[in-house]
Amino acid sequence: MSTPVDAVVAAGSGEPPTAAPPLRRRRFSRGVREAGLGYLLLLPAFLIFSVFIFYPFFRNFYLGFFSTPPFPGQPKNYVALDQYKDVLTSSEFLDSLKVTVIFAVITVPVGIALGILLAVLAHQKLKGVGIYRAFFSSTVATSIAVASVIFGTLLSPQVGLLHGIQTEPSILQNPDPIINISLPVIRSFIPSVALTAVAVTTIWQNLGLSFILMSAGLQAVPDELQEAAEIDGAGPWTRFWSVTLPLLSPTIFFAFVVGSIFAFQTFGQIDLLTPRGGPLKTTNVLTYYIYDQLQFSKNDGKAAVLAIALFGVTLLLTLIQFQFLERRVSYER
Amino acid sequence: MSVEPITLRGTELSGKAGTEVEAARPGKRGRRLRIFGRYVALSVLAFIVLFPIYITIVNSLLQPSQIAAKSPTFFPTSPQWHTYSDAWSSGHLGAYLRNSFIQTGLIVAGQLVTSILAGYAFAFLRFPFKRTLFVVFLATLMVPFEITIITNLQTINTLGWYDSFAALAVPFLATGFGAFLLRQTFLQLPQDLQDAAKLDGYGHLRFLTRVAVPLARPTIAALAVFSFLSAWNQYLWPLLVTKDDRLRTVQIGLKQLRATNIDQVNITFAGTVIAFIPLVILLLIFQKQLVRGLTAGAVKG
Amino acid sequence: MSRFVKRSTAAFAAVVLAVVGLAIPVAGAAPAQSSGKCPVNALKNAKNKPVDITYWQGGLQRANEEAILRLTDQFNSSQNDVHVTVVNQTTYADTLNKFRAGLSSGDLPDLVQIEDTGLQQMIDTQAVLPAQACVDAEKYDLSDNLKRVVDYYSVKGKLWPVPFNVSNPVLYYNKKAFQSAGLDPNNPPKTLDEVKAAAQKLKDSGTVSQAGFGMKLDPWYLEQWSALGGKAYVNNGNGRKSRATSTTFDNATGKEIFTFLDTMVKQGLARTNPADGSSAFDNLLGVGNGNFGMTIDTSAALGTIQQVLASGQYPDVELGVAPMPGPKGKGGVLVGGGANYIVKKSSPEKQAAAWQYAKFLNDPQTQADWSIATGYVPIRQSAANMPQVQQYWTANPGFKVAYDQLLAGVANTATAGPVIGDYQGVRDVVLDSEQQMFNGMSPSAALKLAKQNANGKIEEYNSRVSG
Repeated sequence: MSTPVDAVVAAGSGEPPTAAPPLRRRRFSRGVREAGLGYLLLLPAFLIFSVFIFYPFFRNFYLGFFSTPPFPGQPKNYVALDQYKDVLTSSEFLDSLKVTVIFAVITVPVGIALGILLAVLAHQKLKGVGIYRAFFSSTVATSIAVASVIFGTLLSPQVGLLHGIQTEPSILQNPDPIINISLPVIRSFIPSVALTAVAVTTIWQNLGLSFILMSAGLQAVPDELQEAAEIDGAGPWTRFWSVTLPLLSPTIFFAFVVGSIFAFQTFGQIDLLTPRGGPLKTTNVLTYYIYDQLQFSKNDGKAAVLAIALFGVTLLLTLIQFQFLERRVSYER
Repeated sequence: MSVEPITLRGTELSGKAGTEVEAARPGKRGRRLRIFGRYVALSVLAFIVLFPIYITIVNSLLQPSQIAAKSPTFFPTSPQWHTYSDAWSSGHLGAYLRNSFIQTGLIVAGQLVTSILAGYAFAFLRFPFKRTLFVVFLATLMVPFEITIITNLQTINTLGWYDSFAALAVPFLATGFGAFLLRQTFLQLPQDLQDAAKLDGYGHLRFLTRVAVPLARPTIAALAVFSFLSAWNQYLWPLLVTKDDRLRTVQIGLKQLRATNIDQVNITFAGTVIAFIPLVILLLIFQKQLVRGLTAGAVKG
Repeated sequence: MSRFVKRSTAAFAAVVLAVVGLAIPVAGAAPAQSSGKCPVNALKNAKNKPVDITYWQGGLQRANEEAILRLTDQFNSSQNDVHVTVVNQTTYADTLNKFRAGLSSGDLPDLVQIEDTGLQQMIDTQAVLPAQACVDAEKYDLSDNLKRVVDYYSVKGKLWPVPFNVSNPVLYYNKKAFQSAGLDPNNPPKTLDEVKAAAQKLKDSGTVSQAGFGMKLDPWYLEQWSALGGKAYVNNGNGRKSRATSTTFDNATGKEIFTFLDTMVKQGLARTNPADGSSAFDNLLGVGNGNFGMTIDTSAALGTIQQVLASGQYPDVELGVAPMPGPKGKGGVLVGGGANYIVKKSSPEKQAAAWQYAKFLNDPQTQADWSIATGYVPIRQSAANMPQVQQYWTANPGFKVAYDQLLAGVANTATAGPVIGDYQGVRDVVLDSEQQMFNGMSPSAALKLAKQNANGKIEEYNSRVSG
């Protein structure tokens, strides 16, 4: 029984497997061996993360202290915390943050709710329901690029489906709020028409994934529980609220956490659908703002500060979700 | 602990609602009607979900002037099949698709392996700093790839990987998402299974390969789908680390196709269909495996 | 069990080795930087011929891409010293970004085509060999190159790229629409007021279904119109005497332009589309689809437009091309398009080879072929005089418009065009101000906002390069 573990430890320490016998004789305490195995299993992922995520990520903190030249090979100026202060208090950053939050608030819950709806409907024992499952998961086959090309073209004021009825400015170029509310405080939190269109594209593109995820969650709910509830005489609505939803809660929680994180990293749709985060920066989500600083302003230092801000906000959001949502999750153990 | 109120309330509710429903149990006719209603609901939703795809296929078969006409055409009366060969030949879609599949295949394989290993370690093994390491893994989810690009490009060049499949795949061989997903799944496996396995003298690796992985197959399948899709979706990175058409992927091809066919939207639509057809086929195959995996997991007993 | 052990061990070893391989850094050789002298003789002395060089073209599409590939094939087969591989970098913006990334990674082309606006940034990269060095070293005669073009690409009297593809905005209009609206199809609008009047007539007569004028929201037009009005865009001699530190477009001409844009949109005479992204050609499509009667766009699109029209897809369009209507004043349109920069991080023989190829693209015969195929302006006097070009222009007068309007402009500080570091940043804030205006801000307030924000962008960029 100890053979696989030891062999693996040997391989992990960089020695060829033939070096295993002398090692085998060594007596590891159970705990040490378990810990060693744990670290070993984490090692491959950890190496990739270190090189391609953490190193470039931490370099951002360093870069944030400098006013960086537009082109490499020239001196950068140490500005201490000035750049952090300037960027994080700028209205451009705060507006971008607001757009990002609004975008996540629209796309994540709606996406999950629709996924549950479709999953529950397709979970019934009906003839040919498999076809519907295939239909509902179909948007998974579309990529962000495909979805953006489809919606971008359909919404185009010149060749799109709606071009006959679109007014000036057309949907993807319309910075007006989607609902016209005159109260300025509320108004500034209403998404623009353009952002809503991007959100709809995103929800549609994610729908297949959301459906698959929720279906997988539903499959994990033992049928006996449902049947028991049905025998008890519970109607479909009651069964949904009292049996399905609680048992689906780990999946929903998972979808919420991951969905929010991904929503905060939205990029492709903005790049493909909007005029560079426009109109009037109403679709300028944080990731796009960072990209814009990198690619167009060529300001690595500023982009680095924004990246750290994005990271901080996402981290905070996740912690909050773990704090308040995971309590409501019932893991079946 | 905090879970219990919900479960409790749920049981109570189902008990109460039971009598009402029993009293109103419909006859055979009503039941048929209800089944019919379910099909209607399913069909309406399917229509909404599929409409953009349907109209894309229709538009790919129309003439540009029909697409631009005031009244939209919803069915191609004289389908222009040549748009597909145009998109294929002028857009180099064959090469783009091949490159996408290679890149994606490498990434999926890598992510499955690294995620299963990490997820298992987090779920079943005890070691110091486990929580910290788990947070570290989760933290990777919060670092948008866009912000790592400048440094990563340098790394790729330092390694001499520019314009290679290594550059396209290696940075993505691990995913915090996968580790998280599998950890959650492994945690949901009944404790008795582990105890039973221990009694049978299973070591960790045997438990991992014989018990945990087979039981987590639905999740692994879902992760495979997810990894596949996120890899398939990339376009900024492939554009940056590849030199020319030789290694470029289908997303860039699509962007390129659209840029060069502004007046011939039908060709852009055809290219879009070509870009997603392979995935539809794959998904249909995969859907079966997915369902089989799910049922296998469900009858675990 | 043992089989499993072997397999798992091997698998683990493979994973670990593959991953560990990552961490081993391979020393990247820093490319030697040359002195800034043009190594014209290096090609002659090159050991291995042909010398292979890479040319990044900045996103020439369709007719334009076909032409560059054809010309390059011609160049490659005409001699044995240099072999050029052309790589399409999708867009001008991508090209500059990839070039920038290449500065740290070492993946650079030997010759790169950069958009007109990239001039200051390319100087700031400190990675290009000024064409002037080669011109001086070889006593290359520039007098046949159009003076306006050489002026545009010269800063402090030094020519930076080798001029290649020059375009400028022209008025595209549908003669058939003009006819049915009761307008003279052979007398298109010349001033902004006439544009407005024509748009009104197109709309009132019901000839067009959306608006008279398809207006691309391209800040390029503010720059062009300022130059047409004879006004410099930024200070310090439009950035040519020393680095520009602030904008100067908040003047009478600027106000005239903003008021024009505002009136056109507010009165429903124009419909806008962004200059970036997928809707960038909606103004042209709209003319094709009968939604608009006219629009302003680059002359470089003419070759492609003609290809498209030849397909018979738009039977209701008869294309008219006319000089860009503009505000009052004495000036001229700016030089637009792209130019070729020699990368000085390449080896001397590659630099010499790049200069050889850049000269070929600047050559009169090449320029003649190129302009006929694409709609770009022939930038050599002798190319424009060739019978081949003259005959083509007689048959297709639209292709002559950009050339004529470039020559018609006076040569002064204003028409030399602005040199700005963060050109894109300035354009972005100008665009945002225009949109604020369409959302209710007054033209003069919008202009002031544009000026203020643009100055901020210029200042920020300057602080990063000089400091």
